[in-house]
Amino acid sequence: MYDCLKIERHGPVGWLINDRPERLNAMNNAMRDEFADAWLELDADPAVRVIVHTGEGKAFQTGADVVELASDGVGMERYRESIEQFDLRFTSWHNHVWKPVITAVNGICAGGGFHWVADADVVIAASDAQFFDPHVSVGQVAAYELIGLARRMPFEAVMRMALVGRYERMSAERALALGMISQVVDPPERLRDEAQTLAEKIARNSPAAMAATKRALWGALEQGLTDACKAGAKELVSMWGHPDQLEGPQAFAEKRDPVWSVPAGRSIPG
Amino acid sequence: MGWLIFDRPQAGNAMDAAMLDELESAWRDLDADPDVRVIVNTGEGGAFQTGLDVVQLNRDPDALRKQSGRTRRAELRLTAWHNQVWKPVVAAVNGTCAGGGLHFVADADIVIASSNAQFLDPHVSVGQVSAYETSGLARRMPFEAVMRMALVGRYERMSAERALALGMISQVVDPPERLRDEAQTLAEKIARNSPAAMAATKRALWGALEQGLTDACKAGAKELVSMWGHPDQLEGPQAFAEKRDPVWSVSGGPPAGPTANLPRGTRDV
Repeated sequence: MYDCLKIERHGPVGWLINDRPERLNAMNNAMRDEFADAWLELDADPAVRVIVHTGEGKAFQTGADVVELASDGVGMERYRESIEQFDLRFTSWHNHVWKPVITAVNGICAGGGFHWVADADVVIAASDAQFFDPHVSVGQVAAYELIGLARRMPFEAVMRMALVGRYERMSAERALALGMISQVVDPPERLRDEAQTLAEKIARNSPAAMAATKRALWGALEQGLTDACKAGAKELVSMWGHPDQLEGPQAFAEKRDPVWSVPAGRSIPG
Repeated sequence: MGWLIFDRPQAGNAMDAAMLDELESAWRDLDADPDVRVIVNTGEGGAFQTGLDVVQLNRDPDALRKQSGRTRRAELRLTAWHNQVWKPVVAAVNGTCAGGGLHFVADADIVIASSNAQFLDPHVSVGQVSAYETSGLARRMPFEAVMRMALVGRYERMSAERALALGMISQVVDPPERLRDEAQTLAEKIARNSPAAMAATKRALWGALEQGLTDACKAGAKELVSMWGHPDQLEGPQAFAEKRDPVWSVSGGPPAGPTANLPRGTRDV
């Protein structure tokens, strides 16, 4: 069971919901540990084809819980080992989840909240969502989240957010124009419905082909273009002979929805 | 200007075994022709390019065996980039661009589209993996949009307007019938520039997609210095001073550059 998160299942869609609205969904110790459990639970569930991540209340996520940091005598030291080892378990990417992940930003996304924007496959937002990174305004360094963001959107916008800190916010409209997100939902109350609709479209595609596509594209962020294509070729060829490759064209020819083979257990390869 | 036009409009310009063979020789012919300064790639009919011909794949898989081997070995020869063409290449997307058609967007230098063009990647909707084309695209535009296209598959299409906003393309032509005229106009502007300098610039910028920033700058420096002493470097400023068009030196075939920065292995002729 979870105290700081909610897990829901709606059809083929698994929902991971940040649930500390009274603290703007800031991450305390307990929430950090629950994230790792929740991603693994949804990834291991064969009924879940696509995962949507959102938050309760007026914030999506606002990073580490600074009240806890300031009051429990441990402070940022709690993160030293996992950060120095780069052994975080916050996001789907950290946890090697190869099912499609949609982040649905329902309001304020600040600082560490960008982890789940940078590490999602698809990002949509409510029209009243706002993005900013206050790390340097409170004497902290912004690194991981923004390094990830800088791989997926124009660099200048990321650097401006990193350096202006809490004195400026980016709107959902600007995030859309920059390609940081691909959809703005208005009115904001419709965010979860739109996320569910999008997730159901994605859930119609071959789970095995999507997992291999994710590995190819995330892997492409790791190396040069030619090497990325070579590694991608391995992922591509890995599907040859898979039952979905016969089922897909056959279903298309017969004008029916394909019945995909669903791998049991975690989507992690090998 | 050299034009490379997909010409199987009855099949959405899908690539069958014959087209795959012809693409390689077409790029090579255009690249070797000293009269061709810039290459424009477009399609006949309602589609630009819709990827591998699945009808032939189902009917006669043996015909595509050569291609399968090349896919497996990451040795495709579909695009200008695959064929190491260092002349400027403009893709003019005249309609639907789907799946493997995105190769020609990912690997062109410049991409423009008619206002009715649509982009989608249906690979995962038919149980196929999307890898090459989208890996290339993800280097030249925001990652999220690429990943969304790859995972939503055939259930959503991107408009030319959105592609423009994202920087995937740089120009939308409306009405669509004006696409080839606009492509020709753009290509003629490009053709006014030094062929040797453009080839070295292409090698520097494509090479930059292969490595980290500092290494890319070092490799780019080699390309830059490779032009010093080239006749175009005298002709350019002189023509500017004399208020006339420069007369560039045009060698047969692509100008030779430092091979160390070539992203792919030597071409197998």
